[in-house]
Amino acid sequence: MSDGSASGAMANDEGTVRIAGEDDILRARQATRDVVSDMGFDLTDVTRIVTAVSELARNVHLYAGEGEMRWRTIRDADRTGIELTFDDDGPGIPDVDAVLRGEYSTSDGMGRGVKGTKKLMDDIDIATSEDDGTTVTIRKWQR
Amino acid sequence: MATESTSIIRIFDVLVVTFPSNPLDKVVDELQEELLQSMDDVQPRGVVIDIANVTTLDSFFARVIAETADMVGLMGGEAIVVGMRPSVAITASELGYEFEDIETARNTDHALSLLGVHAAHEERSDE
Repeated sequence: MSDGSASGAMANDEGTVRIAGEDDILRARQATRDVVSDMGFDLTDVTRIVTAVSELARNVHLYAGEGEMRWRTIRDADRTGIELTFDDDGPGIPDVDAVLRGEYSTSDGMGRGVKGTKKLMDDIDIATSEDDGTTVTIRKWQR
Repeated sequence: MATESTSIIRIFDVLVVTFPSNPLDKVVDELQEELLQSMDDVQPRGVVIDIANVTTLDSFFARVIAETADMVGLMGGEAIVVGMRPSVAITASELGYEFEDIETARNTDHALSLLGVHAAHEERSDE
């Protein structure tokens, strides 16, 4: 299943997937699945993380047209985790707090996807502006 | 990227539609259209929506499944979703997907039974 780029995730512990078209959503999902499976996340956490990636990669595709997903392994004193950053130069999100509460939603239901992502991950940070686009960073630690 | 074929098969007066594991959005849209056209052609009693291959059920895919079940209902059929994986069920529940109105079954056999399709020996036993 591994395509080589993800094998030995500890040694090769970062990567980037360009998101420019719809099939890149699937590439981002597959790359993430390979990395976090190799890291030893259990199947339920793999499913949570890949589902979150699918939501955020789709948002980049739908709302900004293009952008990228960067991933890296993270460590603190006694655990390892995965950090994924979704970066675009799109129009930004008008009301981030409302999005996180699930109260803001476009016709495509973007708000629901972001709120769901927050539930599936340990952390989510959103930086957004009209000028600089949106950067969403999510993290999940291994238990 | 490998393209995956979707399938719609007919069992008596029930259609069984199998969703692929990692479809492009447009493949999902096409499958939905193909299913509704088959509904029109075959006039089935029900539709079994098999998602056993699905490893990632994001909000787009969840909405398509809910919409598909709704459309089958509008066309006079009964839709039953089968085969959700445990990890997908956990994630879907945490995400709060609105599946309350969707009928589910443990597997295709169970769904067919709910739709009134029984093994031949059971029918013969009535004669």
